[in-house]
Amino acid sequence: MTVLAAPGDTWGIPGPVFLRWYLVAVAAVLVGTLVHRFRTLAGTSADGVGQLGPQQVAYLNGGDQLAVWTALGGLRRGGVVGVRPDRRLTTGASMPAGVTPLDQAIYNAAGKHVHARELRRDEWVVRALEQLRDGLQERGLALAPARRAAARRGPILLAALLVLGGIRLFVGLSNGRPAGFLMLTLVPVFVAVVLLSRVPWRTRAADRALRELRRRHTYLAPASAPAYATYGPSDAAMGVALFGTATLWTMDPGFAEQAEIQRQAISGSSSGGGSSCSGGSTSSCGGGSSCGGGGGCGGGGGCGG
Amino acid sequence: MTGPHGVGIGWRPEIAGFVADLPRLRFVEVVAETVAPAGPLPAGLAELRGRGITVVPHGVKLSLGGAEPVDPARLAHLAGVAARVDAPLVSEHIAFVRAGGLEAGHLLPLPRSREAVAAVVANVRRAQAELPVPIALEPIAALFDWPDDELDEAAFLTEILDATGALLLLDVANVHANARNRGADPLALLDRLPLDRVAYVHVAGGADQGGFYHDTHTDPVPAEVLDLVGELCARHRPPALLLERDGHYPPAAELRGELDALAAAAGFPVVT
Repeated sequence: MTVLAAPGDTWGIPGPVFLRWYLVAVAAVLVGTLVHRFRTLAGTSADGVGQLGPQQVAYLNGGDQLAVWTALGGLRRGGVVGVRPDRRLTTGASMPAGVTPLDQAIYNAAGKHVHARELRRDEWVVRALEQLRDGLQERGLALAPARRAAARRGPILLAALLVLGGIRLFVGLSNGRPAGFLMLTLVPVFVAVVLLSRVPWRTRAADRALRELRRRHTYLAPASAPAYATYGPSDAAMGVALFGTATLWTMDPGFAEQAEIQRQAISGSSSGGGSSCSGGSTSSCGGGSSCGGGGGCGGGGGCGG
Repeated sequence: MTGPHGVGIGWRPEIAGFVADLPRLRFVEVVAETVAPAGPLPAGLAELRGRGITVVPHGVKLSLGGAEPVDPARLAHLAGVAARVDAPLVSEHIAFVRAGGLEAGHLLPLPRSREAVAAVVANVRRAQAELPVPIALEPIAALFDWPDDELDEAAFLTEILDATGALLLLDVANVHANARNRGADPLALLDRLPLDRVAYVHVAGGADQGGFYHDTHTDPVPAEVLDLVGELCARHRPPALLLERDGHYPPAAELRGELDALAAAAGFPVVT
């Protein structure tokens, strides 16, 4: 079949021809994106989720901020940190042996009497978080920024196609050309762009690990009203890591209130986390006040919720 | 499934993680009213069942001592839970928790009269007709006696057990509390109870308050109660001992210490 270009065709290309090639291009990009995404997000099957410490779990579940709250929760349960009447942190008992670099960094920051919300910006803490993140990326549980960027190339290409289609639609409609099929095509392309540009920051292996850990630690869910006095610091930390700062508020409401820790409950399993909770170094919470109380990143229920 | 054996602990959601970590635990008790007979078991409990640990449902709201017949719905629930956890037996209190449609919210003691014996026996028989497993009856702690008691505690219990063939769930802390608060000798009661009918024994903590010993279940087990466990075991060792703790949960090490002390007092293997 031959369709000849007619003088009225947009850009001199007949509608059916454009649509055919447009669909081929969309399909090609879409398939490529999905295959790449599937592979990138697979991750390495966790070699025994039991080996994940509370802070690692927290990072996977809610990013930097939750990792900080988790370490703080463990230290608080151990009586190692406290809060002063002026709402600044302070140190109590001496550090137990076998702590993580993040514990050490937070202990150090508490010794400098920072506010709890400032912990994330403390130099040592930032470095400890980077270390935590690197370890998880090496284990195939978190996605390195480069891999996340690579996973966004497909949706960017798709967005370009969407723009192209949109322009042709606009031009065509302005010239009174029929463009119903193109319009119908653009709707799913738009949906695909929106869905695919959300690149999770943890892998499916991490999702599975978190599900398994939540199942194993049901007794730490706020619904179980856990007896924190009976459970030790590491269980308290795991409670924060899996179920959010609601654990801190239940365990030690006086401390949580005085230290101005934002209350946040993380429930059940998740869809893999949205890009809004970037755990990467590109986080928008460098020094802005927007994330002071854990508002924007990691502190919100949007992560793993 | 075998009956309860050795040292156990009352399973509560609050300490489910602690209970799950006890490596040699063989039996737990669960408050029957907190488990749904249909649908999934609480996660921790399901895991214990998976490990082959005996779970005994312990009813608190059947009101066997009520003047009116036991509520068929509550009875069906208890029977359902027993089947759900594959229990070897269930237990309930010799007490009433409601009368004339009013809920007391507490386990209230019965007057130890022939009439009360008849009422309890009738209710226990109704329960036995519906339950898939034997029932063990637990006398309660009471701060007072009714003025018209015709029988003493031992005679009252023995009559009920003889008439129903039910097992006895003896609460050593209650024996201590009742004797202590009345200035009586707890050993005298032990000597007169049918100890061969004991299915298992409750041990709990309490505290002195206002001149009375209160069976709080939120305090450590006092030395006197542990001594009483030793005395009991010297007379006739029960198949199993169960630590009841219902709040103000202590650090894990303390709780493990109480379980170890129970095991030592009875000569059972440690579960921690």
